[in-house]
Amino acid sequence: MQPSARTMPDTVGHVTTQDNRPDLVVLESVSKRFGSTAALQDVSLRGCAGSIHAITGENGAGKSTLMKLLAGVHQPDAGQIRVAGQVLRLRSPAAARAAGISTVFQELTVLPNLTVAENLLLGREPSRAGLLDRAAMRAEAQAVLARIGIGLDPQRPGGSLTVGEQQLVEIAKGVSTDAQVFIFDEPTAPLNRAEVDKLEQLLHTLKAQGKLVFYISHRLDEIFRLCDTVTVLKDGRWVATEPIAALTHDRLIALMVGRPLQALFPPRAGTPPGAPALDVRNLTPLAGAASARLQLRRGEIVGMGGLEGQGQREIVRALAGALRPAACDIQRHGRDGQPQAYDPRLGVAQAVRQGIGLVPEDRKQEGLYLDLPIADNLWLGVLRGLGLVRQAPRQRAVVSGMAEQLQLRASSLAQEVGELSGGNQQKVMIGRWLAAGVDTLLVEQPTRGVDVGAKAEIYSLLRAFVAQGGAVLALSSDLPELIGLCDRILVVRGGRVVGDVPAASATEEGLLALALVDAPAAAAEVPGVMAEVAA
Amino acid sequence: MSAELTGNGMLAAPPWRRLLRGALALPPAYAGMLVLLALAALLRPQLLSAMLLPLIARQAAPLGLAVIGQSLVMRARSIDLSSGGVIVAVSYLLTSGYFQVSDAVAMGLCVVLGLVVGVVNGVLIVQARASSMIVTLAVSMILTGIVVALSQFRAPGDAPEFLRELARLRVWGMPLPVLVWLGALLPAALLLKRTVYGRSLAAVGSNPQAAALSGLPHLRVVFIGHVASALISVLCGFILVGFVGKGSITLGQDLALNSLAAAILGGVNFGNGRGGMAGPAVAAFMLTFLFNFLTSLGLGEPGRLMLQGAIIAAAALAYSLNRR
Amino acid sequence: MTALRSGVSRTTLALPLLLFGVLALAAPNFLAPQNLANVVGQITALLIVSLGQLLVALVAGIDLSVGSVMSLAGCLVATQPDPLWGMVLALLLGLAVGIANGLGVAVAGIHPLIMTLATATFLQGLAYLVLPIPGGEVAPALRSLADGSLWGVPQPLLWCALCAALVYGLLHRSRLGLHLFAVGAQARSAQLNGVRVVGVTVAAYVGCSLLAVVAGVYLAARVASGDPTMGASFGLESVTAVALGGVQLTGGVGSILGVLTGALSLGLITNGINLFGISPFLRGALTGALLLAAVCSQRRKVVGL
Repeated sequence: MQPSARTMPDTVGHVTTQDNRPDLVVLESVSKRFGSTAALQDVSLRGCAGSIHAITGENGAGKSTLMKLLAGVHQPDAGQIRVAGQVLRLRSPAAARAAGISTVFQELTVLPNLTVAENLLLGREPSRAGLLDRAAMRAEAQAVLARIGIGLDPQRPGGSLTVGEQQLVEIAKGVSTDAQVFIFDEPTAPLNRAEVDKLEQLLHTLKAQGKLVFYISHRLDEIFRLCDTVTVLKDGRWVATEPIAALTHDRLIALMVGRPLQALFPPRAGTPPGAPALDVRNLTPLAGAASARLQLRRGEIVGMGGLEGQGQREIVRALAGALRPAACDIQRHGRDGQPQAYDPRLGVAQAVRQGIGLVPEDRKQEGLYLDLPIADNLWLGVLRGLGLVRQAPRQRAVVSGMAEQLQLRASSLAQEVGELSGGNQQKVMIGRWLAAGVDTLLVEQPTRGVDVGAKAEIYSLLRAFVAQGGAVLALSSDLPELIGLCDRILVVRGGRVVGDVPAASATEEGLLALALVDAPAAAAEVPGVMAEVAA
Repeated sequence: MSAELTGNGMLAAPPWRRLLRGALALPPAYAGMLVLLALAALLRPQLLSAMLLPLIARQAAPLGLAVIGQSLVMRARSIDLSSGGVIVAVSYLLTSGYFQVSDAVAMGLCVVLGLVVGVVNGVLIVQARASSMIVTLAVSMILTGIVVALSQFRAPGDAPEFLRELARLRVWGMPLPVLVWLGALLPAALLLKRTVYGRSLAAVGSNPQAAALSGLPHLRVVFIGHVASALISVLCGFILVGFVGKGSITLGQDLALNSLAAAILGGVNFGNGRGGMAGPAVAAFMLTFLFNFLTSLGLGEPGRLMLQGAIIAAAALAYSLNRR
Repeated sequence: MTALRSGVSRTTLALPLLLFGVLALAAPNFLAPQNLANVVGQITALLIVSLGQLLVALVAGIDLSVGSVMSLAGCLVATQPDPLWGMVLALLLGLAVGIANGLGVAVAGIHPLIMTLATATFLQGLAYLVLPIPGGEVAPALRSLADGSLWGVPQPLLWCALCAALVYGLLHRSRLGLHLFAVGAQARSAQLNGVRVVGVTVAAYVGCSLLAVVAGVYLAARVASGDPTMGASFGLESVTAVALGGVQLTGGVGSILGVLTGALSLGLITNGINLFGISPFLRGALTGALLLAAVCSQRRKVVGL
């Protein structure tokens, strides 16, 4: 289906249900750049009171950035923000709060060394004669938690909460203010079914109270269930704003992707997969936690999904040697076909020597050398296994050949990687491992913050890699990506692999059903995850 | 390094533009040196004489050596402030006759001491992950404390004749210490640019987590840097003891801070290094020249300290503003 | 509620008790009232300065300039005949240094070790400028505040109690205190919650410098003269005291009780050295070794600076 003709950025789709109510928030022609990447270009948006307004789009569409402008985290390079008719400059999160905007961020901001009560009221603590009023703090925290129906002890330290409980605290924080505008950024990612229901009740209450709720999500069933309006962004630009009643699933997807879904993903391999690159008979990433079993064979791309914080990251990092597992029993078949035992406890260097490479999720912090040139970033992969005093080989040909293969867009190989766009940066990370000659790639969030064009290229790269006998394990929170890219999808829950689904026949609803749990949150979560979050 | 790419690749900037950008990106030491030479020519031209310049260079040699070690560890996001303690210990070992051994053996013992200090620093910083500034300062405190306590029983004496001779010797008009300095500079520069160690160092400094996750031996790189730095401190100790002619418990106390200042002025900062090895070398000479210049203008110890502090703060500020 | 982030463990409490026990048994004259009064007098300055270091450590920083601030403050009051004016000057100095350190760290993004090392060097030079050699004279009014007793309690103890009470009020009874803990744990999360990270950081450094000024004035008043190198060892000693007291140098965890135990331990060790007749020059080496032990016992992810 063709997207509607509402593609003029300056005519915000005037939607019939909104005409009767006053605009509470207006973002007019806002733009935002980060370095050389244009995150938002000339986006206009209107939200009115008493509405749950979805903001959706693919990974890298600019949803979070747009809302962060409203949350005071970033300032627009161009354009205006108006709240209740007044033009505002939101210079900090505190300013946004003062303007009546409350945000539940995607990143958890619960502090481990503060209690739940202190976390809830941080930044707006009750005080008496200039001093903290701890009694009032306790009382207010109790009241907030009770009102929302969360049974948490306000004296518990933030560091002892599970990921789901932290999210509930975030939501409680957001909802308990006197704000007029609420922003929720992917709030249900770590929540179980009961918690999701609770959240939905809350949102309906807010709407009935005449508040405006911006709800960022790419879970279509939630959008259709909860929201009355949806705004679609693509590649940093506004695409459409329509009432939910006027849309169907397929039409919404078409608006989001803008091209037939099939064109994004390369075709799957017809040949059956080969010997196991990784035969994980038992992997216990954290002491006392569950153990995982899985197989990754040559020639296939295996996806790993599930709710956030269910242990997927720990499994991947343990396999890569970056997290020392409590127990493991893993066999490997190298490129030569010989089986050998693989012990990730020996560390990352050993894993790399055996041909296993990790592409981390946070490429800026953990993956790339931002102030070094592209050539160095690619070429450092070749250095593995060489003695320290050996003369470093020049390998100019390898590097420029790799850059061609990756279809890098850069002014020259001497350009600093930090100046590249997200998609090109991601390609450089993958390119480094290709240059190093690994045969197994463990990829966390293969296309986070990557534009659509580069996405297709990255998918092709991964597919070409496995076609030559490599194996890829791709951890992703983007269900359509898992379904489109992979051959098989593993669903992880509570640190265990609870589902192994062929991607060709998988659906988003089916995967979510496997991932969600009906039991209370505490029983399902991986206890050790907190250590990583609290650190 | 300018393989132009096809497709959407843009052409590189015109050559004069690249030259200008290159000149502006030079470390402050070069500009500082030029300004200083100009001022000296105006106010104290005798400092530029053929007699004094080599002497100033000779005075700068220990600092120049110390900066080499400091650049190595700074590039790995670490720091070494233990040179003061090491030099005092070296001076005591060589001159007090505590062990009743020949000069050569005493020098060998000093090298062993340097190794031990470097290994201790390295292990504590890499394994225990303690802050390198605190560790190296504490190690310096321990060494100095022990030496001062021992000095009460057995005072430091005269420096070995061999070292005193070396300090006085000139080869082709250049004082030997300066040649030692230049002789250490070349291998260090090669190490940085050509070897796997040097490239790994650049990676570790740029992003230690990425280096760890890519399988680079990031811990070994930092460890080796600290061992090298400690051994270089021993060498500085030899030269300084030769200069002064006898042991002293105040020898080389400002070398640590000066090497930090010189490294930053020379373009090296925590996690990166733009000046290669040449920038810090120029900075070491510049700082020594600066202090001599200001002393000739009447600057005393207070002024020197205030200047040192101001330089470190200004250089750190400039670096951090540049990064934005 | 606050035990959550105090950092005090059984070992932190055990150390000073152990030392006290050993000294009481083995050292001659340890329990004599004159000696105990000496100990209190000696650790007063260290305790006050360590309380300041606590504030900065809570926001994951460190302040190596406290020693020079102490020296300079002492020299200022020793060269100003009017005690009030001397105090005002010294306090203004503390304010200025704290703001400079705080802005350098929080706004310019300079590593706290580098920033405070630079300030320390600069101020040391300034101290030599104000008072080149030990001397000067501290006004009698100030001197009387440092020694002797008031209502039967030794004055040094009152200084300690006052500073401890102020810092306690700040940390556990004020919004700023809660914000200090928050910023130290995760500055970004705190900021997203509306905490003004820059202001909180500057406040911590200002508090630290002001406490260093108080400690410096106390020391000068006690000795009745100024000395430009008086505070030289207090920089690292205060870090040692704080680290021994269970304060995490990575931020977010710490308490006044911990600082007290750390300062007490150091003071008892110094006292022990005197009583046992060990060379006082070894004190520096011993402090260095203790600092190493304390710092290595803390967990850190970062390698290097």
